[in-house]
Amino acid sequence: MSMNFSEFKKLIGADPRNKDPETLRARHSAPEFEAAAAEAEAFEDKLQAALRIQPPPDLLSQIKDISRQPDRQRSWIPLAMAASFLILVGAAGLAWKQSHQWDSVESYVADHYSHDGTAVIERAKDGISDQDISKILARLDATADKALSGTIMFIKFCPTPDGRGAHMVVSTDQGPMTIIYMPNTQVNDGEMVKFDQMHALLVNLEHGSAAIIGNQSQNVESLAFVVKDSLKTGLVGA
Amino acid sequence: MTTDTERTHRFNELASAYSTDLYRYAMWICGNDALAKDLVQETFLRAWRALDNLKDVAAAKSWLITILRREYARTFERKVPKFTDLEKVVIVDNDELEPDELTERDLLREGILKLEPKYREPLLLQVVFGHSCSEISEQLGITKSAVMTQLFRAREKLRAQLQRDGVTGNVHELF
Repeated sequence: MSMNFSEFKKLIGADPRNKDPETLRARHSAPEFEAAAAEAEAFEDKLQAALRIQPPPDLLSQIKDISRQPDRQRSWIPLAMAASFLILVGAAGLAWKQSHQWDSVESYVADHYSHDGTAVIERAKDGISDQDISKILARLDATADKALSGTIMFIKFCPTPDGRGAHMVVSTDQGPMTIIYMPNTQVNDGEMVKFDQMHALLVNLEHGSAAIIGNQSQNVESLAFVVKDSLKTGLVGA
Repeated sequence: MTTDTERTHRFNELASAYSTDLYRYAMWICGNDALAKDLVQETFLRAWRALDNLKDVAAAKSWLITILRREYARTFERKVPKFTDLEKVVIVDNDELEPDELTERDLLREGILKLEPKYREPLLLQVVFGHSCSEISEQLGITKSAVMTQLFRAREKLRAQLQRDGVTGNVHELF
């Protein structure tokens, strides 16, 4: 039994490249079938083009590196493990962002730190390589002088009120403290936000801003000075 | 017995053949280029470790997709993060597009991202990997009939979105 037009439309709507004999027979059975098939294929070409995105240029070489390490203790395995964690935290963070709307930077900072601040400090004990620090900062068009980068124990991407930013834990002589870098957000420079047992100093940078977070016995001002001096931002536009 | 050289060669062939499509697939399901890259690297790391389990080269593509989907599910617990990096992604073959075509492509991309995962995933498997409906059925563990329905609806939704946003043409009017 031959296919009617409605059945044919459903079939090519699901599988426009279908070349089985029955579909081809139906296609050639009448001009309206032929037109519908041709236009479904045209739509498919557009869909295919829309989905065609290029992978990062270094992806293939990094994958091939997996097999190049003779002892199979690949240098980027720790990175992959860290990345897995970043994905986990990042995804949780993004999901968290989707479920939260902040009416101010202040509420964002308090909410963000309450969400994972302590967990990230805990995780920071595992450390992170200089290369990863540079890599994450670079993706945010930023770089850190040694005075800051040498103290970063951990860094990850995080949501901010205006796109992606970085959540860092730094080592200080007063214990670990947190920096949230917000590349696209401006703050009331010098404002202190207090929440729970914590306080956060908001500072504008050349591009974007940062929240320097510590417990209320920690001196966040001294770290803010280092951040302002050492975190170079907006490099692409520089 | 497979030597290390053969094993490495086999792995590199898989990477060359499938890393681009896996990245595209990961990108469209997770919506973030950095995370997509990590997912693909993790997929290949697991593939390297389990390479000896892959007996049939013809099954490699599905095997890798399965690894990636499991990794994605494990990591994201099926929660799709907000798509944040689309503007940074280089789109191939866009140089010769007319402004109308560019608009249409952008609307299509937005539409793809708005599709529920149950529609988007079979569509990606079909368009990005060229999977047949039967292969998608096997990959997703749903019936072929359900796959066809989801694929049809996915395209209907995309066409509807284009129509809603004012990009219309004969191709859309047919459906």
